[in-house]
Amino acid sequence: MIERIAWLWPEIILFLATCVVMVLGVSPRLALRRQCAFVSGLALFLAAMVAIATGPMATSPWPQMVPFMKGTAGFVGLLTLLVLAGTVDREVDRDQELGRGFAALRANRAEFYAFFLFSMTGLMLCASADDLIWLFLALELTSLPTYVMVTISTRRSRSQEAGVKYFFLGALGAAIFLYGFSLLYMGTGSTDLGAISTQILAQAEGGAINDIAMAGLVLSLIGVSFKIAAVPMHFYTADVYQGAAASVSAMLAFVPKAAGFIAILLLVSTVGWQWGVADTAGVSLGAGHSLPEPVRLLLWVMAVFTMTVGNVLALLQRSIKRILAYSSIAHSGYMLVGVIAGPQGARFIDNGVAATLFYLLSYGLMNVGAFAVVASMEHKGEEADDLDALRGLCRTRPWLGWTMVICALSLLGFPFTLGFFAKVPLFTSGIAAGEYALVVILGINSAIAAFYYLRLAALPMLEEPVGEAPALTRVPARIVAGVLSAGAALGMVLVAGFFMERAARAAVPGLFDGTHASQSATDQIARSGERRADE
Amino acid sequence: MTGVIDQIGGMLAQAGYPAPMSVLTLSHYLFVSAAMFTLGMVGFLTRRNLIIMFLCTEMMFQAAGIALIAASRFWLNHTGQSFVIFVLTVAAAEAAMALALVVLLFRKRESLSAEEWAEMKG
Amino acid sequence: MTDLASYAPLAIILLMAITFAVANVVLTLLIGPRRRGKIKGMTYESGMNPIGTARKRFNVRFYLIAMVFLVFDVEIIFLYPWAATFPNLDPSSPDALVWLFRILFFLLTTVVAYLYGFRKGVFRFD
Repeated sequence: MIERIAWLWPEIILFLATCVVMVLGVSPRLALRRQCAFVSGLALFLAAMVAIATGPMATSPWPQMVPFMKGTAGFVGLLTLLVLAGTVDREVDRDQELGRGFAALRANRAEFYAFFLFSMTGLMLCASADDLIWLFLALELTSLPTYVMVTISTRRSRSQEAGVKYFFLGALGAAIFLYGFSLLYMGTGSTDLGAISTQILAQAEGGAINDIAMAGLVLSLIGVSFKIAAVPMHFYTADVYQGAAASVSAMLAFVPKAAGFIAILLLVSTVGWQWGVADTAGVSLGAGHSLPEPVRLLLWVMAVFTMTVGNVLALLQRSIKRILAYSSIAHSGYMLVGVIAGPQGARFIDNGVAATLFYLLSYGLMNVGAFAVVASMEHKGEEADDLDALRGLCRTRPWLGWTMVICALSLLGFPFTLGFFAKVPLFTSGIAAGEYALVVILGINSAIAAFYYLRLAALPMLEEPVGEAPALTRVPARIVAGVLSAGAALGMVLVAGFFMERAARAAVPGLFDGTHASQSATDQIARSGERRADE
Repeated sequence: MTGVIDQIGGMLAQAGYPAPMSVLTLSHYLFVSAAMFTLGMVGFLTRRNLIIMFLCTEMMFQAAGIALIAASRFWLNHTGQSFVIFVLTVAAAEAAMALALVVLLFRKRESLSAEEWAEMKG
Repeated sequence: MTDLASYAPLAIILLMAITFAVANVVLTLLIGPRRRGKIKGMTYESGMNPIGTARKRFNVRFYLIAMVFLVFDVEIIFLYPWAATFPNLDPSSPDALVWLFRILFFLLTTVVAYLYGFRKGVFRFD
């Protein structure tokens, strides 16, 4: 067995920090409790740096993706942490400052930060997964803490409703992909992604991919679509994003989505992009450069419906958080285009997987800003979530207003913002893969998205302020996060080439380079037989 | 279905190993687990009591557990069995969370119907 | 179908169990003395006088204790495979030491959970 601990130091750092935060956060001393956010931030930064310094993970199906995604997770996580600061325990802290004592059972800070770190650990573990068991645990570790974070994020019953919905649909999604994993194991006899890939190739050479394995792969993809809020399992998104505090919604839009896309890339890498388009599975192995037909069809339908449903429903909303929730669904649809296109060429613009990874990074950065604006405005003690709150914001609260304008334009993919440079590769990679219909639908959807994104950008910029300006939150870190995010949406353009090159390198699959292929399927079976004989 | 299993059995035989488990038996286990999974799914989609809905997802988890154990026996490796241990752990964690959510819900609304929770629409 | 006869002892013991249970209830109904009264109709609480109503809410700490129990309960599952493997390792090899520290680290995580519960006040009853 290959020792994997060497690649897991980022996760170990995060885990140790989680332990510290969990005990620190229930300390009776206020000054100590306030350190939770700093400890979390420090751990995230260290984890990201260690991950980048460690380099590619040899056993992963995408060796170079491991440091890329862990670094992305760490830095977007830091930005999210700035927004998350001050979400819980404001009343508890005030009570203690007024000398009313400290009730540990009422305080939520320890759970909140610890669960945030657990979720980030899960995301990083997803990136380094090379085994179905590992992937299952990592996905669950990403999601389970977020259910609690949604529920405790505010004291309103809406958050609890959101938590209940999120949890129950999440449990359903987990059950579906778990069953998919078990069928995948039944059909191939291994949970190691490399061994599964070898076995599937051997089956295809012998005629056709095993039906059980194929059914398992399809079920897994449907189950994982819960994490990325894609169509068969997108129902929860708007309600959960609206019910949770805006800061937690900012996290929900990135962390589970990134984990889901990593999981999809890992699962799909077991079959690879080497099949003929028109033929059914197994007939023309090596002849084409697309996914096997059942998987391609599933992802194609998922992508089309996800984009369209997300964009059309976003048009009908008045709540900013709901608009952002439906747009988050639509963005998942865009990114699925890159997954379908696959790693076609060495160049960045032809490589769909690289486009997806770069889009994830860009989406994570620019999306935080939009949610940070909502989290920073208060109206009668509640979040100012209605579109009216944005009117004339550039004049009354210029920092917030311009942040919203820039982030909305960037999310739309307006030329010369980060979103534009993220979206173009999706188009070009789709064309390189010959998915013309999909690219046309992607274009139409981008046009639909313009309606509501331009409204989000025009309300603060062009309209007159209505009534008094919304009050600002007392957490300055959120405004900082918003400004940083808007700055990234503009400034990252200058260094986009650097990140694109990293993404292109991250999108080189390691499975088909001969290192794994040397163990043929019969070897695999023979080894399991030997193990049996040893006992 | 049996064709697929024959195929796996055939590959094992090709590698020089006797079929470890009656071919009929694996399809039986697969059938039981698929039936449990489907029942759980149907139950989740049709019932409105939160505890019943949660039990349905647990049933789907256990269906996967049965499939894993059967496949583990069929392929003669321990991977499936160790997978099941982790599945049980995750199921326990989810049970703890479901318990907490259901208690919270009951204290707020005095009811366990999923329809009580429809404040947000649109 | 042929070896159905081997299940006969099982059938007999099932039959005996059912007969015994049913017979006891029926016999008490037939020959037992009947007295009704306030004390007789009281809820059976293992000999104590019942206090309050049965619909009373439990303190939230009971749920917390249940959760802490769950942590230890699930942890045991992982100790079994470890315990089954550990004796097979060569005690002089460095592997044995690594394995020992792995399980100690795993147990340490439980201590953190315990510490958290302690600070949270799960074990205080007042």
